[in-house]
Amino acid sequence: MRSVDRMKQQMLRDAVRENLAVIEGRPPAPVRREGRWARRVVRAVALVAVPLALFASINAFSGGGSSSPEVVVVPQRTVAPPPTEPGLEAVSWPAPKSIDPTLFHLDVKTIVLDAGHGGSDPGALSSDGLVEKQIAFDIADRVRVRLGGGLFQVVMTRNGDETVSLRERARRARAAGGDVFVSIHLNSIPRPDEGGVETYFLGPTDDPAIRQLASAENGSSGYSLSDFRGLLEGVYVDVRQAESRKLAESVQGELVSSLRKITPGVVDRGVKSAPFVVLIASEMPGILAEVSCVSHAEEARLLRDAAFREAIAEALARGVRAWADSRNLAGAGRSGNG
Amino acid sequence: MSEKKDVLHVGIDLGTSRSAIAASNGERHVVESYVGWPVDMVARKVVKKAVLFGHEALENRPMLDLHRPLERGLIKEGSPKAEAAVRELLGHLISRAGGTGKMVHAVVGVPAEAMRVSRQHLRNAVKGVADSLLLVSEPFAVAYGMDALLHTMIIDIGAGTSDFCVMNGRYPTDDDQRTLTHAGDSVDEQLALQVRARHPEANFSIHMVRDWKERFSFVGEPKGPVVVEAPVRGKPTSLEITGEMKKACESLVGPLSETMLDLLSRVDPEYQQRVRNNVVLAGGGSQIPGLAAALERVLEDVGGGKVRSVEDPVFAGANGSLAIAADAPEGDWERLAG
Repeated sequence: MRSVDRMKQQMLRDAVRENLAVIEGRPPAPVRREGRWARRVVRAVALVAVPLALFASINAFSGGGSSSPEVVVVPQRTVAPPPTEPGLEAVSWPAPKSIDPTLFHLDVKTIVLDAGHGGSDPGALSSDGLVEKQIAFDIADRVRVRLGGGLFQVVMTRNGDETVSLRERARRARAAGGDVFVSIHLNSIPRPDEGGVETYFLGPTDDPAIRQLASAENGSSGYSLSDFRGLLEGVYVDVRQAESRKLAESVQGELVSSLRKITPGVVDRGVKSAPFVVLIASEMPGILAEVSCVSHAEEARLLRDAAFREAIAEALARGVRAWADSRNLAGAGRSGNG
Repeated sequence: MSEKKDVLHVGIDLGTSRSAIAASNGERHVVESYVGWPVDMVARKVVKKAVLFGHEALENRPMLDLHRPLERGLIKEGSPKAEAAVRELLGHLISRAGGTGKMVHAVVGVPAEAMRVSRQHLRNAVKGVADSLLLVSEPFAVAYGMDALLHTMIIDIGAGTSDFCVMNGRYPTDDDQRTLTHAGDSVDEQLALQVRARHPEANFSIHMVRDWKERFSFVGEPKGPVVVEAPVRGKPTSLEITGEMKKACESLVGPLSETMLDLLSRVDPEYQQRVRNNVVLAGGGSQIPGLAAALERVLEDVGGGKVRSVEDPVFAGANGSLAIAADAPEGDWERLAG
């Protein structure tokens, strides 16, 4: 009985510690386990070696970094860690800043199209029997045709009416070496008079846990080696969010302007951030587009028309191409293919 | 002289579909997780309230801006209404439990995915609803309330998500937890699709489908024919939906089994048998007759095991949260204030 009480006390301490970390905007401290001294040694080495390696690799990328305008890491402020760890001196590390991926002239080669739901998961249903999984797949397949044809490699996360978990979708996207992830869905809104188009990108964009990872104190912070890996990934997350937001804006703009030519009243519900699991797990810039609304009678009626679905697919494809062009990510000759 | 306020400890299960509260004064309440604001002055005059909750909100939904704040287990990022709905819902529950005028120390259990993905956002949303507040993942709260802290797997099948958590005698980390969106809502959607395919002339809403599921759900062999009533061309008509109900409910078995076995395979081999013999189903989905037996059949392939359901699925999470609240030291509440 006493051991249960001890377990409970430890769990309560960990729960409180996790909540306090959130309140104070710190990343959650790791749950206490065995081998703390060994971990401290590893941590001390990591805290010194990993930032040095990061700086070295980034400076190598920017051609030495001394006079190039393409400076990708700017020392904003320094964080002096309290020298509480034995053997660790107080060293100031500049806080990393997001890296602009356009500086590396990276090509978008593989586009992953994710038709929402499928198989045993029908998604949203309209009052007259329209099923989200079918419409989403139809539109995704049309986008595949428009973006394929040699310019991009296009991969679908599902190839028919099959049940694919979010984890599996993300795994397939990663396995295909996807450069960008576009998830296609249809909205359903409790108020039947509301409809429209909205596009989400991975959020939150200003998660303090990610921002503060870069400048957090080391020595006594409780970071493990894996936490520090999370810090480095945080830099990438910032890039991914910025790219995803731009892609979302491009796609949303194309969707709204195209669909308003068909139905002038279509509502622009905007670009929003949301922590959709599939966007997090896919580990690449990505968006989730709610391309129309099955709970809105007029939009549901239009969705039955292949020409309307084609217009949505065309707008999605145009949005992706425009994003690639504007970011200077697409190779020469890709512009104007829309 | 300042008068010290009475302290009320409360445990809250903030669910996608229903939210429950258990308080140290013995009060227990449950409300459907719907929050609605009158859309205009006319609606306000008709409903005579500034905000409506639960069943009352559902009943009056044509006149309300209705929100279900934890759709699919996550608080909608960037949605002030979703945040306000969470705050209103918690405030409503605390008020019903007699918290007005008292110092309230609250433990709130939330879907594991919300805890993992939007921890910071959720914390901001609930700020100020109690004097001190601790957020924990729902399956952890259930495990704590049952003293099932060691070698136990909790599967909390809610409306928006099914949350898995292996208790290893320590506060669960992300590695110990999984979340699926195959849950009560996906069964409702599947059932609606099946029934619409078989009875295309029938007119019904998703709320009616949810009610049918709660009354007649089953996995395996039915106890008898499932017959429900829905209007056909305006006339109340009996519909036989036994096969459709079976198919919809059994759509959960595959994903739940896959995740259960995956998590089990990650448990230290020495303890796998103990965990297999301690699988606990919680949440509304735990009450589907035949589900526990179906999961036990799956466990037979890996050496056998036992799956049981919590005795009080509506309040298991709230009771667990209350147990955490009662055990937390006063000093921790002071640190968690605000």
